[in-house]
Amino acid sequence: MDTQRALWDELLALAAREGDDRSYLEKLLGAWTRERGVESAALYLDGEGGGERLAAVGRGEYPAELAEGALAGLVTVGLPGGRLAYRDAVPPASDPLLLLLAGALRTLRMKRQLKQQRFQVDYRGVELEALYEVGLAIASTLDPRELSEVILLRAVSLLDARRGALYLLEDGRYRLSNTIGGEAIAEIEAADPRVEVLLSAGVAALEILPGAAHLLAVPIQIDGQPRGLLAVADKESRQGVGPFPPADRRTLGLFANQAAIALENARLHVQALEKERLEREMELAAEIQRRILPKSVPTVGGFDLFGWNRPARQVGGDYFDFLPLQGGRLGLTVGDVSGKGIAAALLVSTLHSAIRLLLDRIEVGPTLLQRLNQHILDSSAPNKFITLLLAELEPSSAVLRYFNAGHNPGVLVGQDGRVLTLGPGGLPLGLMPRATYREECLELRPGDLLCLYTDGITECMTPEDEEFGIERLTALLREHSRLPLSELAARIEATTDEFARGQPQGDDQTLLLLRRL
Amino acid sequence: MTETLKLTVDRRDRVAIVYTEGYINNQGGEEIAKVAYELIGEGYRNLLLNLAGTKIVNSIGISILIEVIEKMLEVEGRLAFCNLTPTIEKTFHIMGLAQYAGIYRDEPAAVDGLKT
Repeated sequence: MDTQRALWDELLALAAREGDDRSYLEKLLGAWTRERGVESAALYLDGEGGGERLAAVGRGEYPAELAEGALAGLVTVGLPGGRLAYRDAVPPASDPLLLLLAGALRTLRMKRQLKQQRFQVDYRGVELEALYEVGLAIASTLDPRELSEVILLRAVSLLDARRGALYLLEDGRYRLSNTIGGEAIAEIEAADPRVEVLLSAGVAALEILPGAAHLLAVPIQIDGQPRGLLAVADKESRQGVGPFPPADRRTLGLFANQAAIALENARLHVQALEKERLEREMELAAEIQRRILPKSVPTVGGFDLFGWNRPARQVGGDYFDFLPLQGGRLGLTVGDVSGKGIAAALLVSTLHSAIRLLLDRIEVGPTLLQRLNQHILDSSAPNKFITLLLAELEPSSAVLRYFNAGHNPGVLVGQDGRVLTLGPGGLPLGLMPRATYREECLELRPGDLLCLYTDGITECMTPEDEEFGIERLTALLREHSRLPLSELAARIEATTDEFARGQPQGDDQTLLLLRRL
Repeated sequence: MTETLKLTVDRRDRVAIVYTEGYINNQGGEEIAKVAYELIGEGYRNLLLNLAGTKIVNSIGISILIEVIEKMLEVEGRLAFCNLTPTIEKTFHIMGLAQYAGIYRDEPAAVDGLKT
């Protein structure tokens, strides 16, 4: 009686203790076997794979997991959610201990279900957290590779996928950006019709993840345009892998949308940085070009001089310079490089250096022009050339010698109303090897006004594509020939702007004005 | 084709450290459980999982880790984790693992924590 009392006390204590279910079941099963005179027995909880052994007593061999036919040859008693198995030929019978076993088994089963439900509720929290964190990553990271890793890690883990891969569209091909859990093919032709089948029908038409049994892929799109692919494979469970349920496609799509936003942000950021860098470089180039152009106008007795330049972009292909020469002579030059922007500005820089260096050794003359031509030919792209008007003024005699290498003809307006043009005497520089240049000469009379310019002035356009032209420029020079040169330049600038009627400046504009007093 | 979790075990005085490298999923979790049960069988009651080489864990992996924690509690042992990524650490907190297993920033702190 004391033994029986001790057993009941022990069972009562075990039943009251949290987390001692297995000990309780074993003790109960032991009591039942003694009561029934059975040598060994085991208690199983039904499960997906067949059943899990919860308790076993005695010497019998009872498998830990129940497979098909595992209990053959044994006596089994069905209990709610499980079964009792024993080897001896004792007929099954109901008794209070068996009822207790059934109750304990049921309680354990309910506890397991509760635990499973709690796990799922908690995991919903993880899912929400994951989406929140992907959102945070989008806000805090602009590195596309880092972002794609965050998104892929989250998608694979939340969908319980065994593997995953993220592809980004580049030059018509989906290129592998990141992979988790195994190999993925490096790239996929975007035009491959199997991609469409994979994305729309969910059929694993392409073996993106070699060896995967179940594939799920969604597009990463921005404004309906494909930017990448997000793929996961083999949904895991404790029993192995299987297909993804339809809800997983929606979840994966959600991640793909997040990826699209993140990757677009990153792309725009990279683009903005690149634009900023280019703007900095352009500003630097503009500064270099400003240094190339004369900072001041030289003083020459008996003459007034003025120079003005306005590039169409930050940097331009126009050039002018005042070149002090031996014997008090002064070189004047206006040039125009074909094209605009950085490429033209670089050639301006080349021309400027070459003229300055050559003039240290060679007088203004045909040889200088030929050497310049060869230098430009050697140092520029085949389709690049420079038109140049190079003049040398002898202030004491007021004689102007000049060479016009394919440049717009300079205009000389006399006080008496006569007009002369300084026409071409050779090909532009850099166009043909062994080009020759003809020297021209004229004498400036008091009041004569010389205007050297680039085609940005005469080819200034109205909205109807009408050119300003050399006639309008000449008329302007004649009308205002007595104005101070800076005012005259300002008048030409204002008149051409008015003529263009708000049309953007199409080409660089340069003026070099010389008046004999 | 499929990468599996790599495990390395360092058996020290009173503490066994298991280093993981890769995805803690069903396969990875089973590998950890197998090694953990072997260590329990060898008499270890302090087990440290150093997850420095793991960036990803899924729900199956977590459920297996919970089973390992329960097993450790059954034998009155202790399980701890260290070097978790912020994401995994947050997941462990949400899933309740942190209630029954210590979570440490690095290995020395975890070893000290398990020995006290």
